[in-house]
Amino acid sequence: MNPKDTQLSVRNVNLSFGGTQALVNLGFDVRQGEILAIIGPNGAGKTSLLNCLNRFYKVESGSIQFEGYDLTKIAPHRIAGLGIARTFQNIALYTGLSTLDNLMAARHIHMHSGLLQSLIYWGFAHREDISHRMVVEEIIDFLEMEHIRRSIVGSLPYGLRKRVELGRALAMEPRLLLLDEPMTGMNLEEKEDMARFILDLHERQKTTILLIEHDMGLVMDIADRVVVLDFGVKIAEGSPQEIREDQQVIKAYLGEAR
Amino acid sequence: MTLPDTLPKCLVTGYQKYGDGHTALRKKDRGIWRSYSWEDSHKQVQNLTLGLIHLGLQRGDKVCIVGDNDPQYIWAQIAVQAGGGVAVGVFTDSTPPEIQFIVEHSDATFVFAKDQEQCDKLLEIKSQIPKVRGVIYWDDKGLWGYDDPWLISFDRVQELGQEQQAREPDRFDSEIALGKGTDVAIYCYTSGTMGVPKGAMISHANLLAGSDLAVAVDPRSEHHDYLSFLPPAWITENVLGLAIHLRTGMIVNFPEAPETVQENIREVAPYWLLFSARLWESMVALVQVKMTESTWINRLLYRWFMPVGYKVATLRYEQRTRIGLHWRILHALGEIAVFQPLRDKLGLTRVLSAYSSGAALNPDVVRFFRAIGVNIKQLYGSTEAQTHTLHIGDDVRFESVGVPPPGMEIRIAEDGEILVHGPSVFIGYYKLPEQTEHAIEIDENGKRWFRTGDAGYVSDDGHLIYLDRMKDMIALASGEKYSPQYIEGRLKFSPYIRDVMTIGGAEKGFVTALINIDFNSVGRWAERRGLSYTTFVDLSQKKEVYALIRQDVAGVNATLPPAARVRRFVLLHKEFDPDEAELTRTRKLKRGILSDRYQDMIAAMYGDEDEVRVRAAVKYRDGREGIIETTVRVETLVEEDLPK
Repeated sequence: MNPKDTQLSVRNVNLSFGGTQALVNLGFDVRQGEILAIIGPNGAGKTSLLNCLNRFYKVESGSIQFEGYDLTKIAPHRIAGLGIARTFQNIALYTGLSTLDNLMAARHIHMHSGLLQSLIYWGFAHREDISHRMVVEEIIDFLEMEHIRRSIVGSLPYGLRKRVELGRALAMEPRLLLLDEPMTGMNLEEKEDMARFILDLHERQKTTILLIEHDMGLVMDIADRVVVLDFGVKIAEGSPQEIREDQQVIKAYLGEAR
Repeated sequence: MTLPDTLPKCLVTGYQKYGDGHTALRKKDRGIWRSYSWEDSHKQVQNLTLGLIHLGLQRGDKVCIVGDNDPQYIWAQIAVQAGGGVAVGVFTDSTPPEIQFIVEHSDATFVFAKDQEQCDKLLEIKSQIPKVRGVIYWDDKGLWGYDDPWLISFDRVQELGQEQQAREPDRFDSEIALGKGTDVAIYCYTSGTMGVPKGAMISHANLLAGSDLAVAVDPRSEHHDYLSFLPPAWITENVLGLAIHLRTGMIVNFPEAPETVQENIREVAPYWLLFSARLWESMVALVQVKMTESTWINRLLYRWFMPVGYKVATLRYEQRTRIGLHWRILHALGEIAVFQPLRDKLGLTRVLSAYSSGAALNPDVVRFFRAIGVNIKQLYGSTEAQTHTLHIGDDVRFESVGVPPPGMEIRIAEDGEILVHGPSVFIGYYKLPEQTEHAIEIDENGKRWFRTGDAGYVSDDGHLIYLDRMKDMIALASGEKYSPQYIEGRLKFSPYIRDVMTIGGAEKGFVTALINIDFNSVGRWAERRGLSYTTFVDLSQKKEVYALIRQDVAGVNATLPPAARVRRFVLLHKEFDPDEAELTRTRKLKRGILSDRYQDMIAAMYGDEDEVRVRAAVKYRDGREGIIETTVRVETLVEEDLPK
């Protein structure tokens, strides 16, 4: 697939909870290899949108096309297999396992040995384990997690847990990475580290990244394009520069200009 | 056969001796320890050297290296030296202006910068350092998108080196042959607590002499493992890591990342360790914390056997007596149950010599490690002269920094400054002839002595006692000097003394001390003797307590030169308290406030009185203020108090 080709296309998506319209006729494209940020005030429908993308929620109408598949018609458990991985706003990891085990667990979608082979753990299963470990070790190196490789995730500070979660998403070797507020609750240094990882990832692996983030400064620094939501409606789409100057965005998100 | 006289020659000798059959370096990468043979090292250095020459390196050029402990760091350094250049280490946490200072001052023509972080710093100051022809990086993570031709990858330099090798197959060997022991090998920029950093010029001969001195004290060979985790820009890592590696074949292991050092120490279990006093102290704290979180059976074993460890260590190292059979049996059990497992957790299973440098180590920390079977020794040194003194063998004393290793000499100047002479004394400071002249004294026999700027004296049995920096010494009325920090530090080694402030200075004829007893330990001591007391005030003024503290003060006095001895002291009726602004929150004395608040007592100590009435305002924890009224005794020590 060529860069600039559309990888994910969201068309006329509607979602409501009871009487509340969470997403209204939402439509936008995500291009191959770009970093697209979705911003908007609290309750704008950002997380709901991600939940629709990986089928935690079922859209009421509209279509979501990913590399030729209609995600609205695919079972939730198959989404990861298509090459879409995500991280969560409130970290969802196996807290009792080590960093290494969390990452290895994410490799399951790429594992092929059967139960019996795994039990005997010889020949194919053994070799397969080694090859997965190599992928995981590359990620540990990439995200600078050597010192927490054997640490139990539950005992790690918040910023590091966020990093492990990103690592787990990467272990699936996704073509589209959905990041739900990867930098909330972090201090400045941790945010800068995370921004660096996202940029390196984008540059090195050409992974498409769809990012939800509150920190406007950071979003404007790293995103190629920005989509702005307000009460489930897309009110703007464009480059960070265009968004910064958009009167409607300033009004909705940054507050009324005085 | 004469020993090689430069580091690159040592590499060639090692390569000829070990070839591909012996591990030279090991690095943990992607979770696996990877070995590099001497042949690998030789090949890497050869290609790098020729690559640098291809890029324009001239003999005598300076090359800065800023990076973590990696094989690439070592290869870069030897390659620079093989090409006749000087390697200049820069600490990785330096800011761009700091790097700029060193690069400019050293006239560097190339810089090795490990990764994106360091390359970014150099790019930031690129326009200010026009002499630098290129920056060579060895970790390309994050640098994929950089297109500045100023940045060159390690691999690219090696490719250029291979091409050069095809053109001039003898160049590498002939360049190495041109090197001499008296050539400058490295500049070590001293951190410089005041003013700008100074670049100490260290020759190959200095480094190899430092290595030989260290090996004479603690033998090392190609079967020994070493973990390289001290900053590679520091003299210590250059001598004790690189030079010894090249000289003896000792295997150097590199940690996976700076954050994994503790874990990697355990995996490598090095034979030789040097930590700062602070790090040793934090290890004890770590054990104590982990112990409270451990299982009940572990806690029980720890509680049973640690006293055995302490007892045996006291008998062995402090009383130096024979150890009874039943203690030996108990100790053997403790070894299996507690001591060995603890040493394993801390990576100390194979350690032959464990050193502490920097500040004096708290005796409690020394006792703890002795109890688990590790005898920590002091090492005192400097960038300019490397190791001045250290504890050799089992001859370890709390109060001393040891004796000079064979080949080094120590002399105390008339003003009390420690001077060092030996083959490891440096050449001088780069571009600072005046400071060099000041730092090096040449005596009537033509011996070069390095002025350390430290004050100390040599005890009767030849051990060096380090007091303080010269500038922190205080003169008495007689002109004789003493170190308040040192005396206070020694007195605080007593378990019964919590805080001390010494008084002296130009108007005073002798040294006195305000002492705070440690309420808990003195209280327990009193209980064991059936001595009843009510409050802190009561306990502190007991005749018996004065006698107890007097013993400890006399003990410290015995180790001090006469002028520095504490002649009179009082035991304070209350503790120094941060809430009353007498101490900082980190429990450092606020001398001005204390001298003012306790002026009556100070006057009494320098007067004739034997006691002094005090009315002191105290602030209780609940915020109320009260007045304590009591009599505090002044104790006088005379020469007869010194233990014989």
